Amino acid sequence: MPEYLRWKDRIKIESFQKLGDDFVMGKVAIDQDSCSGCGLCVPACMPRSIEMVNKKARMVTDLPLCMDCGDCVAICPENSIKVITFVELKRAFRFLDRGKPEPPRRF
Amino acid sequence: MVESTANHEDKLKRIRPPESGAPFNAVEDIIYRRRSVRYYLEKQVPDYLLRRILEAGRFAPSAGNAQPWKFIVVQDKKMIAEMEEQVLKVCGWVKRFADYLGPGNKHKEWRARMLMRLNPNNFHPFPFAAMKVMAEGNLSPWHGAPTVLILLADKRSPGNPSLDVGIAGQNMVLTAHSLGLGTCWVSFVTPLSMFPKWRKRLGIRYPYTLVSSIALGYPRGIPDGYVTRETHAIDWFSEDGTFKVVY
Repeated sequence: MPEYLRWKDRIKIESFQKLGDDFVMGKVAIDQDSCSGCGLCVPACMPRSIEMVNKKARMVTDLPLCMDCGDCVAICPENSIKVITFVELKRAFRFLDRGKPEPPRRF
Repeated sequence: MVESTANHEDKLKRIRPPESGAPFNAVEDIIYRRRSVRYYLEKQVPDYLLRRILEAGRFAPSAGNAQPWKFIVVQDKKMIAEMEEQVLKVCGWVKRFADYLGPGNKHKEWRARMLMRLNPNNFHPFPFAAMKVMAEGNLSPWHGAPTVLILLADKRSPGNPSLDVGIAGQNMVLTAHSLGLGTCWVSFVTPLSMFPKWRKRLGIRYPYTLVSSIALGYPRGIPDGYVTRETHAIDWFSEDGTFKVVY
């Protein structure tokens, strides 16, 4: 049956001060060996969570606001990017009724 | 015209559903490969392609066949730049009012919470973060796209006009991707309707409301491709009276 938010959950709004507790932001793993340093993933990332360091892409460390849209995964010509953590909001804006991630499936 | 020449047998063949486990057809493939494009070439979209895309919007389903949409094409670089400037200005105001992340700004957090409660759609944590990134000059609303399609809805239409406009927009987006172009839905256009100057310039007056916009252009690189995405619970009341949840 569908999930609901209780009052207790609805009262508290997520704070960006509490990344990890209120939010679990998305995370991508970038294979440093196969990354060719083309830099396409940097502008493709809307919240600017990927940066180039020494001609290799990596996730920013200070405030990665990744929402795992997968644009970087799709644009990477070397297939070196993989989404490893999916975004999760834990208070008033919690996503409901989500299952585990899957690529497009054939039925 | 194509329709009238095709005989009944051909039509039947076209609508016969495939077997289970069959590969994706062309339409499904475009749907699954569509990724939002945020990095465009300077090259302008030729008129015939743009007309082809707009035509796909024209044949979208709508409540009562009321077709409550109006499309505005903006290809004037200067005008797009001015629109971006205006949107960035609004983002700057929001950031100044409620960005609590900088040093010494913790007292502003209640303001952000208030905005999020009063208007959870526009101030959801994700657009809130996007506004911050934009206000800091790291992101432009239309990502440098050479063409911007602005979508207006006719308020007087039956049902849910914004939804109908969204359906027309998705038709256009999928068509654009099937033609090798890139698109991105940009609803950061809506602040423009707060300003009389822009209402006048874009012709947003009763009965029209600004719904959203689509950035359109030739993508840099090949952004389209399959990704992994969360499955959603689907409640299923079966024919035999049982209930199940599938993902």
